[in-house]
Amino acid sequence: MNHFTYGGLTASEPAERPSQRALAKQRTREKIVGAAKALFAEHGYEGATIRDIAKAAGMSTGAVFASFTDKADLFTDIAETEQAELHAAMRAAGEDKAGREAILAMLKAAAKRHLASLALFQAIMSALWTPFLAEKTRRRLDRRPAAALIIAGVEQEIGDGSGGCVRFIAEMIWDGYLATLRRAALDGLTPELVNARIRDQTNTILAGVRRG
Amino acid sequence: MLDAARQLFEDVGYEAATIRDIARRAGVSVGSVFTGFSSKAHVLGEVIRGRREELYADLERVAPHLRGSTADRVRSLFAVHYAFEFRRLKLFLAYISVAFEWREARESTDLPVLGTNPRLVGMIRDCLAEGVARGDVSSLLDLDQAVDLLLGAYVWNYRLAAGDGADSERLVSRFDHQIGVLFEGFRPAR
Repeated sequence: MNHFTYGGLTASEPAERPSQRALAKQRTREKIVGAAKALFAEHGYEGATIRDIAKAAGMSTGAVFASFTDKADLFTDIAETEQAELHAAMRAAGEDKAGREAILAMLKAAAKRHLASLALFQAIMSALWTPFLAEKTRRRLDRRPAAALIIAGVEQEIGDGSGGCVRFIAEMIWDGYLATLRRAALDGLTPELVNARIRDQTNTILAGVRRG
Repeated sequence: MLDAARQLFEDVGYEAATIRDIARRAGVSVGSVFTGFSSKAHVLGEVIRGRREELYADLERVAPHLRGSTADRVRSLFAVHYAFEFRRLKLFLAYISVAFEWREARESTDLPVLGTNPRLVGMIRDCLAEGVARGDVSSLLDLDQAVDLLLGAYVWNYRLAAGDGADSERLVSRFDHQIGVLFEGFRPAR
């Protein structure tokens, strides 16, 4: 079960006991988010309506709007949480490693998460291309932080003589990773095959930098 | 009807355009749109298919005359792509957004699945295979995977056009650089 953090309020935070009201509010949000995740994954951002989400969560649309401004707000909240959890998992996987090893460990951790909820990932990716949502979302979601995590590994691997090239290469590796995930969704690749492809193409890119 | 839809998607965007708007602009009834198409995505799919035909016909004319290294040939093929899609940028970005719903795209035949067109994939694959024969691409390279990698880089660069307002020149120059790295990596090991 995923653990959600809303506005700094977490279930395990001991500092001050949240009031009954705050707890009830949080439970409502969790219920909405749970229903919304399933519906966004099944129907995509466009296809899932607030009415369906409210129905699945067992409440009125008014109650949903009391917790979230609109569908974009709800969706962005989910995407933010997914992203934060993804980055934590990637960071933990790369922690005790360096260079290529760290990059591959981080991508493997990312693939494990993404393959477990491909449909939701696909809905998020699709929505990021939607102009009207992207305007609102861009302020809340940095689109490239995963590539930023990879930068340190790239720097260790190719040295800092390459200047501004490090970010560029990290983004290439991340874009290649996304292309592989998409292929996994299209062709139903096994996790082993996904990891092998990610390893091969990351090696290709790093070899290209060294030779070029 | 497809012309009306294409113009409308370009003017107001895909999400904002309704079947009713398409019918009005084409001067036909809503019912007759639904006679020809099952959904708005189906209309978009047909618009995109029509444009694909134009693009691939252009590319197939260019392909036999490509010269230089394999990297340069692939650069030329994709430069044609960027120039073509930038003429109707909003339309293409809408397509990427909808096409990323790959699960649904696969279940229905309404929308061409992005990056899997056999003509496009075949053209790039042939170019790589010629590179293997010429000796500047490793015979150990998995060509299908290499095509995915190239197409992935090509498509993802459009996020700079969607978010940062980058023009086609910036995308082409970024992609040229990416091709440089990838083809160094594709070369046979010494």
